[in-house]
Amino acid sequence: MPMMISIIGLVGIFQVYITPDMISKLFGYSVLSDILTGTFVGAIANGHGSLSFIIAKGLKAQGVSIYALSTFTLAWVSLGFVQLPAEASMFGVRFTVIRNILAILSTILITYLTIITINMGHL
Amino acid sequence: MKKFELKGMKFLVLVIVSYIILFFVDYNNALVSIDKFIKIFITLIPIFIFIIILTALINYFLKPKQILKHFGEDSGKMGIFYSLLGGILSHGPMYAWYGMLKDMKSHGLKDGLIVTFLYSRAIKLPLLPLMIDIFGITYTIVINMYIIVFSIIQGKIMDQYMKNASKD
Repeated sequence: MPMMISIIGLVGIFQVYITPDMISKLFGYSVLSDILTGTFVGAIANGHGSLSFIIAKGLKAQGVSIYALSTFTLAWVSLGFVQLPAEASMFGVRFTVIRNILAILSTILITYLTIITINMGHL
Repeated sequence: MKKFELKGMKFLVLVIVSYIILFFVDYNNALVSIDKFIKIFITLIPIFIFIIILTALINYFLKPKQILKHFGEDSGKMGIFYSLLGGILSHGPMYAWYGMLKDMKSHGLKDGLIVTFLYSRAIKLPLLPLMIDIFGITYTIVINMYIIVFSIIQGKIMDQYMKNASKD
């Protein structure tokens, strides 16, 4: 329970300092940069999953690439840097490191494969 | 390697200290953070209650031997299926589920199945309409299929890694 309260406390601080406006300024430079930024920001940002889609909708209107939107929304719901201490405390540091590396790589690969698959369907 | 453990109380003290510092440095945002903390906590109470009840039910109905059978080393495809289904249907933030998973792990739940469960949580059924609205139906179907595939792959890799690590 103390760990849960701590994580919620951190989420409270993160939600105040990492605003949707701040996030939107980080995108739109290049595909690679958008993918990396999307993954990283999605992993840091916190809140209900629906919020990631609301931000993504705004970013889409600004012309941000599908790569960025995809990694950002996927990282938002599958990663969470703020909960790393809790995960490490429950399952061990080694498990946490391996799982999060796998999740980051999967998020990037899934984005690429999804877009490639959709583009193949359009051929 | 020395086992690293972050005790909950120490971490809580660290977070409380952060809030105290924040009150001195940025009073208004500290108040907003506290407000958000309370709102999130209240939102999560039903989820915590649900997870506590679920954990109690699992402990009551699934004896360690059965957990081992359904989610242990020899759980096979059904273990993966249950983990995927559990991940897709589970609600609330990821950290809310850690306690239950840790409890099941102590009874034999495989590391790989924890990984599969946690990543498959990226499929959010209630959010599918929002996803379709932004990305379209083709994207939504394709990405969710890949999430399932990669949840399984990640679980397999974790199990293989843990197996190799235990040999060393």
